[in-house]
Amino acid sequence: MTQESSAIKSAKPIESIDNMLAPRNPMYYAWRRFIANRAAIASGSVLSLIILMAILAPLITPTSYEEQKFLTENLAFPSASHWFGVDDLGRDFYTRIVYGARISLSIGFVAAAFSVVIGLPLGAVAGYYGGTADWLIMRIIEIFSVVPPLLAALLLAALAGGGFGNIVLIAALFGWVQVCLLVRGQVMAFRNREFIRASQALGASPLFVIFRHLIPNSISPVIVGFVQAIPLAMMLEAGLSFLGVGIAPPTPSWGQMINIGINFMFFYWHLALFPTMALAVTVLTTTLFGDGLRDALDPTLKG
Amino acid sequence: MIGYVLRRLMSICVTFFVVSVLLFVMMHAIPGGPFDAVEMPLDDAVKAKIMARYGLDQPLYVQYLKYMWGVLHFDFGIPYQSPGETVLELLGRAWIPSLVLGGAGVLIGAPLGIALGLVAALHRNSWVDYVASVISTLGLTVPVFVTSMLLILVFAVWLNWLPASGWGEPKKWILPIVAYAAIPMATYARYTRSAMLDTLNKPFVTVLRAKGLPERKIIFQHVLRNSAIPMVTVFLPMFIGTATGSIFVEAMFRVPGLGAYFVSSIETRDYPLEMALVLMITVMFCLAYFLADIAYALLNPRIRLGGRSSK
Repeated sequence: MTQESSAIKSAKPIESIDNMLAPRNPMYYAWRRFIANRAAIASGSVLSLIILMAILAPLITPTSYEEQKFLTENLAFPSASHWFGVDDLGRDFYTRIVYGARISLSIGFVAAAFSVVIGLPLGAVAGYYGGTADWLIMRIIEIFSVVPPLLAALLLAALAGGGFGNIVLIAALFGWVQVCLLVRGQVMAFRNREFIRASQALGASPLFVIFRHLIPNSISPVIVGFVQAIPLAMMLEAGLSFLGVGIAPPTPSWGQMINIGINFMFFYWHLALFPTMALAVTVLTTTLFGDGLRDALDPTLKG
Repeated sequence: MIGYVLRRLMSICVTFFVVSVLLFVMMHAIPGGPFDAVEMPLDDAVKAKIMARYGLDQPLYVQYLKYMWGVLHFDFGIPYQSPGETVLELLGRAWIPSLVLGGAGVLIGAPLGIALGLVAALHRNSWVDYVASVISTLGLTVPVFVTSMLLILVFAVWLNWLPASGWGEPKKWILPIVAYAAIPMATYARYTRSAMLDTLNKPFVTVLRAKGLPERKIIFQHVLRNSAIPMVTVFLPMFIGTATGSIFVEAMFRVPGLGAYFVSSIETRDYPLEMALVLMITVMFCLAYFLADIAYALLNPRIRLGGRSSK
């Protein structure tokens, strides 16, 4: 019964398309599809909460993340005064988790942005020109698909050193492939449309066609690619920090905290549990939000 | 078809070459060498002798050519961190735990995932479908070291049912196998569900129903078979990906598999081992994708291979 009614509800906006005299903005339908997706809405809310916590970190935490203020309470279990307990060096663990969100989210977003910066032009060129350019770019992508990203990332991190900037670049180096493929597909689909042909016939240069027509029409896949690159970058950062080549202490990173947590987990389980849960919840909500966005912006992309 | 196979093999060779050059250059570009020690540094003369012994004093391209010449003869050199054996012997020894745990994870996870996806597709929008989608989403998004950590905390620390880590007795294998099984299970549940739903909507299923074929036969003999193609093709790459071990799962469960060597070979600048590990995995992935494409074409005659290697 409920299924039926929800099916009818979700069918409504499509019905009304025929009835309308002037078509509405496509973003209107994307928005309608998005708010109908309960998982995406829920994870979007949780994600905004996490982002808010990360931004407001200094206001909502009792100390700074590196202050060893509670050495007398070393390894204390969660309590009213220390929500997530105290870590092995006398630092409030809740504070460290909140600041860890800053690292994780900022690396996720910045790396995703760089992924778009690399992937968008390459995808546009591959899709528009085809032929040799496309072949070359696809061969590069093929190499990226057969080399295990974590191994290559480890090697690069050993080569360039860890730290925020390098981790972002490494994550972007593996994140652009998906963006590139999405943009390439979209550009290839639009390349032979009438308005492109018309523009070309009027003497528009390839660069003008790409920037004026093809990239604006690829905005959906770019947004999707951007959002989907975020959790991947966060996982890569956590993985590298876990292995000790990512973000160096005392800057808190969840991966690093998980690694330390293993040593304590048999008794001081809070050191293992909270960073694990923080990472899991953040990656999960980002992914679900991205999937919801993908389904809303372009239902045909669903793979 | 033969032309396609040859072209693909050629492209694998090129990929192998490019990866090997990139890897070799990157590896040697990392500052420091295998015999640099901060505490108790070697005497310069001794170090020079060791470097000469391993050919590390020669120009980089000579080292590369020598190494690749060896690789063509299945001689991957001697690992610096354990000079008593060859790289191949070390890999053979260390691979067993990874292969057992990862292989078991795929072999258990994949059928479970298929079953889950099947049930979910047949009872669309029911609670089974809901549970299946939650499981597959969790399995695909939550990083493997998070899964491992939660498994250890719940089953080893709090419930105290299973040992948390180690190798040796089969009881210790259970948790890592579950951790490995999560991704294949999630992937297969999702693939199976969407492929089944796709096929169930095809007209030929309606025809089968109209001619009165029992539902069980429709599902197992026709729908499942027709949706099996993507499942067959993802199996091999997934098996390779899992059965070469995960650095994280092995670090979490203290399994003496390949995983630890990925990290240690980079940390200690163990060039021959590092080359062998990455090249081996690269080649296996190349072959896995290649075989998957061939299998795809053989299983689905509508696909014609050709052009410039698909995908």
